[in-house]
Amino acid sequence: MRLSGDSASMTDIENLQEPSRRRVVITGAGAICAVGNNVPDVWDAIRNGRSGIGPITRFDPEGYETTFAGEVKDFDPAATLGRKEHRRLDRFAQLAIVASREAVAQSGLDIAAEATRVGVLVGTGMGGMETFESGTETVLTKGPKRVSPFFVPMMLPNMASGNVSIDIGAKGPNFATISACASSAHAIGEGLRMIRDGRADAVIAGGTEAPITRMGIAGFNAMGALSTRNDDPAAASRPFDADRDGFVLAEGAAVILIEDREHAIARGATILGEVLGYATTDDAYHMVQPGPNGEGATRAIKLALEDAGIAPEDIDYINAHGTSTQLNEKLETEAIKNAFGDHAYKVPISSTKSMTGHLLGAAGSLEAVITLCAMRDGVLPPTINQTTPDPACDLDYVPNTAREASIGIAMSNSMGFGGHNVSLIFAAPGVR
Amino acid sequence: MRGGKTHANGTPRRVVVTGSGAISAVGCDVATTWAAIRDGRTGVKTIERFDPTGFETRFGGEITAFDPTILGRKAYRRMDRFTQFAVVAAREAVTQSGLDIASAPERVGVLLGTGLAGIETFEATFEMIHDKGPRRVSPFAVPMTIPNMAPGMVAIEVGARGPAFSYSSAFASSAHAIGEAARMILDGVCDAAVAGGSEASVTRTALAGFSAMGALSTRNDDPAHAIRPFDRTRDGCILGEGGAMLVLEEREQAIARGATILAELVGYGTANDAFHLVQLPEDGEGLVTSMQQALDDAGLAPEQIGYLNAHGTSTEMNDRVETVAIKRVFGDHARNLPISSTKAATGHLLGAAGALEAVISIEAMRSGVLPPTLNQYEADPACDLDYIPNVARPVDVDYVMSNSMGFGGHNTVLVFARVH
Repeated sequence: MRLSGDSASMTDIENLQEPSRRRVVITGAGAICAVGNNVPDVWDAIRNGRSGIGPITRFDPEGYETTFAGEVKDFDPAATLGRKEHRRLDRFAQLAIVASREAVAQSGLDIAAEATRVGVLVGTGMGGMETFESGTETVLTKGPKRVSPFFVPMMLPNMASGNVSIDIGAKGPNFATISACASSAHAIGEGLRMIRDGRADAVIAGGTEAPITRMGIAGFNAMGALSTRNDDPAAASRPFDADRDGFVLAEGAAVILIEDREHAIARGATILGEVLGYATTDDAYHMVQPGPNGEGATRAIKLALEDAGIAPEDIDYINAHGTSTQLNEKLETEAIKNAFGDHAYKVPISSTKSMTGHLLGAAGSLEAVITLCAMRDGVLPPTINQTTPDPACDLDYVPNTAREASIGIAMSNSMGFGGHNVSLIFAAPGVR
Repeated sequence: MRGGKTHANGTPRRVVVTGSGAISAVGCDVATTWAAIRDGRTGVKTIERFDPTGFETRFGGEITAFDPTILGRKAYRRMDRFTQFAVVAAREAVTQSGLDIASAPERVGVLLGTGLAGIETFEATFEMIHDKGPRRVSPFAVPMTIPNMAPGMVAIEVGARGPAFSYSSAFASSAHAIGEAARMILDGVCDAAVAGGSEASVTRTALAGFSAMGALSTRNDDPAHAIRPFDRTRDGCILGEGGAMLVLEEREQAIARGATILAELVGYGTANDAFHLVQLPEDGEGLVTSMQQALDDAGLAPEQIGYLNAHGTSTEMNDRVETVAIKRVFGDHARNLPISSTKAATGHLLGAAGALEAVISIEAMRSGVLPPTLNQYEADPACDLDYIPNVARPVDVDYVMSNSMGFGGHNTVLVFARVH
């Protein structure tokens, strides 16, 4: 293992990279989003460059500045979760349960046998928005005594994490990590640290979001953050392209089941990959604007490389945050150049938000799942809708079509409103 | 706490508290809040922020003495009330600590918890859409409502650039933030952190929602005596608002810079019931596991705990189950263990409760006075331990435990040690 990093920037901690540090592997993955309701379908759409963006159907968008989004399709919560049960779950919790079930089933982990050693960290940016809106509307129009007793348990942001733990019987550490668009990346990183510290042997880590609501669209429109390409929704999410005009709001959930490597091997689990490194920083600059020169993001990338014990040249692919806003990609490109130096021009980078839209609190974990699939199949996902290059974004964004390539180690970056930066590094099984 | 990385000299990293801050219904800083709680005063009263007519519960732990313009005439308008509380409490804690964040900002984290975040802004925004349409929504609406804006703004305020995000686990949120921040310091991810939480829950929607669950007391005619944790006549909890913060720091760094150390965080345990969204398992399993974990983490036997600040919400269910759990963990010593819930003074700060109770527990240890559980009238046979009824008790203790439990089955326990 190559050690890298400037030792002057590290503290006097001796054993940060000691060989005896527990290794953390991935033994399950689950996802549901605009391009598919399970991981195989999601990956098939991504590698074939298919977009899931279309007109909003979840509410009537008449009068709203943006009328399209990345909605989940053909999902019947009553059929999947139960007629009575699904009504007690906001959509963000429903999606989380679906994704978690897929990941747990794939892993074959017997949670009941060691329930207190299995944690659940399911983040979200905004929690139960639909429930929140309907409860607020009830108070407004019908009065406080007509509010449902399920209002609070349905809308609290931790209820996805709480409901998942009930569904799968996990009794270990459990909370939601919340950092806007970095929420689920934080969940994976904090889950990684929990396992390394020996506080859990496995963690279902990821995020969920169901923000396609009146507040969601109106609120992000008010910030000028959303694309308004209403006449061509599938072309709207175009990260790094010169004509990008804002992100596309999307819903969905994704989790990975991360596990202590020895624990996974001992039970004969199939290892899908390894979580190699994690770092997080804060810009401390502005409510919503990222810090100048992408300083916080650059630092997160460098620290993640240090944590993984690798050099920039070891990264074979970067799944970018790439939201399709003018500001994000300009700064993200700068951050990659600052952190990678010359290698920035050699490493393929893509934003799969071009197809899935921006899942806010679930973006990071969905992109981790996609990155895993990319590594397994040796296929770089494309950034679709690349028609006009932006001179400020001059790296290789795998434009329009997927490309075959051997991906041994990949990075996934997420940056959230409020200045939160997360960088995660994954390795294909057997690479280390 | 166990499992920390080691210094070059071989000693393990440890976490101490070098600053605290709080704002609540009984005081806009720690000293005032602590004095009120110690002296048995309450800030629970009829709601003034809006007209509570038509609500089943019409009182709460509202902060009426707070003027948000102290945050800056323009700045305060861009913060929901829950963020305002976070900034005020963080300022107090960081100022007290004397920590020079600017000298190594990337080594300082901001890890906060909240349950409802910017619910007031959310309500106002929804009302705007309802009355005037989507195009009149403020560009600040979304940023103001999201939970992570509290750590985001506190990070800007104090200039911290290390790990910063929000934890959500209902009423265990800020306890999780403190425990997890300590783990980050132990692991060397950062050397210090502002850790705690804030909540501004005295709003129409929150009040209606919690009322609908039957969780709130309806003793509207006598708010000051309504909250009665563990008492046989208890009839529910009450919403409270506020913020509370600790400055956590690696111990050797704190000593080296001559900081005043208020306490050491020696134990942290957390587990999930995985039982029901809001109901507790009758055997209090998740809380039992968490208390045992915290004791193991601290290397303590149950008998060494001198005071337990209970979650004690004043609901029938919580106080009964929490008593069962305490007995399971402490055995015979449970009868000798002074326990109190301080929620009668301030109301239930929801996501910020854990942090406020950590602040209070530390003050109790430092001052040698254990705070009372107010409004004890009739003993409940199912809650038959020593809840320090009505009047504070002067006792020197070396270790205090603080419990927090949240909807969603979250249990979090912190243990602090006195520093001489």
